[in-house]
Formats: sequence, structure tokens, C-alpha cells
Amino acid sequence: MLLSLAVWLQNTRLFEFLRDADRGYQIILSLHLACISLFAAMIVLADLRLLGWGMRAESISDIVNQTRMPKRIGFVLAATCGFLMFGMKAEEYYYNDFFRVKILLFALVGVHALVFRGSVYNHADELDRLNQPPRRAKFAAGLSLVLWLSIICAGRGIGYLRAPPFSHHFARLFERGEGRGSHIARP
Amino acid sequence: MLIQNPLNSSEWSYPILECFHIAGFAVAIGTVAIVDFRLLGLAMRHQTPAQLTKETSLLTIISLIIAVFSGLLIFSTDPDMYYLNLAFLFKIACLLLAIGFHYTIHRRVVFSGASLGTSILVACVSLGLWVSVVFGGIFIAFLSLELNSN
Repeated sequence: MLLSLAVWLQNTRLFEFLRDADRGYQIILSLHLACISLFAAMIVLADLRLLGWGMRAESISDIVNQTRMPKRIGFVLAATCGFLMFGMKAEEYYYNDFFRVKILLFALVGVHALVFRGSVYNHADELDRLNQPPRRAKFAAGLSLVLWLSIICAGRGIGYLRAPPFSHHFARLFERGEGRGSHIARP
Repeated sequence: MLIQNPLNSSEWSYPILECFHIAGFAVAIGTVAIVDFRLLGLAMRHQTPAQLTKETSLLTIISLIIAVFSGLLIFSTDPDMYYLNLAFLFKIACLLLAIGFHYTIHRRVVFSGASLGTSILVACVSLGLWVSVVFGGIFIAFLSLELNSN
């Protein structure tokens, strides 16, 4: 079912157009990483403030509330680019283990939001009144940092399981006959 | 080759270095971008650009060091290819400009203040340079495939 949906998606006119466009994939991948670069630090900043590791001159609510909107905008922009890349090669992505891990990690981010948004992120004003943020808030912040870092690593991994986002490093290992895994496709 | 680079003997070294590189530059560029968005009046308006710079500069420099050093190790795996790669040369030019701009003009505008027009211009130049570095970096891999196949 999911596979047929993926095949249908990549055969829509929009994605056919993007696939045929000169350097379409590279440009959208660059935009994806540009969005991550411009907005990911908002997450880092809010979480570091909750952990008490940075921005300590400012109140927790000030940082958490002010980064909320940029975080959402950044996520929507990066996810849009991500979806466009997915649609261009949906069938390949469907079989890609790192892509599956990445989707699973996004589901965990959703769970994280369900669990901690109410008690931590949306009640930053209450955290200001305490001398020290409660353990729950620090745990939420730490977990968020770990999840997003894992998403970056899984995202980079996607490019290693089949062309086209293929690394010259693996191409050379292959030429020398040192490429161990059969999962590594030729460029 | 007389000396084999140990990074080239493992399948995992390169992807792991890249993860450090991506996480490093994402935080480095992101913390600079926060100040730029503030200069543009788009985010974090409760703080001044100077306050934000003071509070994020340590994070910027640490993550920049992580990104640069992992980048140097990545470079060492195949220096000839990078030397011939136009995207790499473009990226390094933009990177040097971006770092130079950040610690001179950008810094002066943030700490001594400037007219709104100048602030907006400086923020746009800074964002433009850093985004160009990212674009250059992505295109390295795709140009290198073309170099490899020739």
C-alpha cells in the first residue's frame, strides 16, 4: 500500500518535472541543508537554556517563547524541501533503511512534543519562578537535542544507501574492490 | 601513495566525520543566523543583537571549530579531488569571506550599532555568504562524481 503510494507520488507531474530538471535534486538538497543551518540553532538555544548550559542571562520563558515561531517556520521549510526530495525518488526512499529510521525518529519527536509540550515548553513562565528548572524539563531538553542530532545523522545516512546522493569516498573504495557491503550501489 | 591515510581504510570514517561536520556547521551558522534575524528585526526582539552575540559567540566558535576540523579530515581523504573541484574552491572562498566578515564588519555593526539600513545590509550579506558555503558544500559531492567518471 505505502509502496504503491510512493510509486504514484513519484510519477505525478510535479515530481517528474523536478526529476528531469537540471540539478533539481542538488538544489533542493542544498535548500534543505540551508534551512537546517538557519533554524536548527533555535532548537539548540531553547534546549541549552532549559538545561542551564547557555543563555543564562535571559529568562527561560524569554528564550523558549521567542524561539517557538522560528522553530516552526524552520521545520516547515526544511520538511517541504525534504518532501520534494522524497517525492522525486519515493520508491528508492521507501526501501532506504536510514530513511525509515529518520521517519521513526520524527515520530519520536512527535511523542516528545505530546509528552513535554504541555508540561515544559508551553509553561516556560512557571519554570522562571523556580530557582532551578525541574529534572523533567532538563530531561526533555536533553532528549530533544539527542533526537535532532540523530535525525541529522540518519539524514546523512540516506545518501549512502544507493545513488544518486553518492559519495566519491565509496566510489573509490569500490574501484579498489574494498567496498564491503553489497548494499552500496555503484554511482 | 607512500603513506595510506587511515581514514581511507574504513567505510565508516567518512560518514561519521560528515555527521560531525553537518551538526557543527548547522549550529555555527544557526547561531550567526539568530543574530542576523535579530538585525533584520525578525526574531528574538526582546534581546539586542549585541546581547545575542555575546551569549552565542562561544557556541558559534566551538561548533565552527568542530565543523572546520572535521572538514579538514574529510578533505584529507582525497585532497586532489577537492583541489580540482570548482564547488570546493567556491565553498572555501565563501567560507573565508564569511568568517572574515563575521569577525570584522558584522561584529562592529552588532556592538557599535549602525543605521537600520546598514544593519539590514550586513545581515543579508552574512546570511548570503553562509548559505553560499552550504550550497558549495553540497555541490562538491555531485561535481566529484563527474570528476571521478571522467
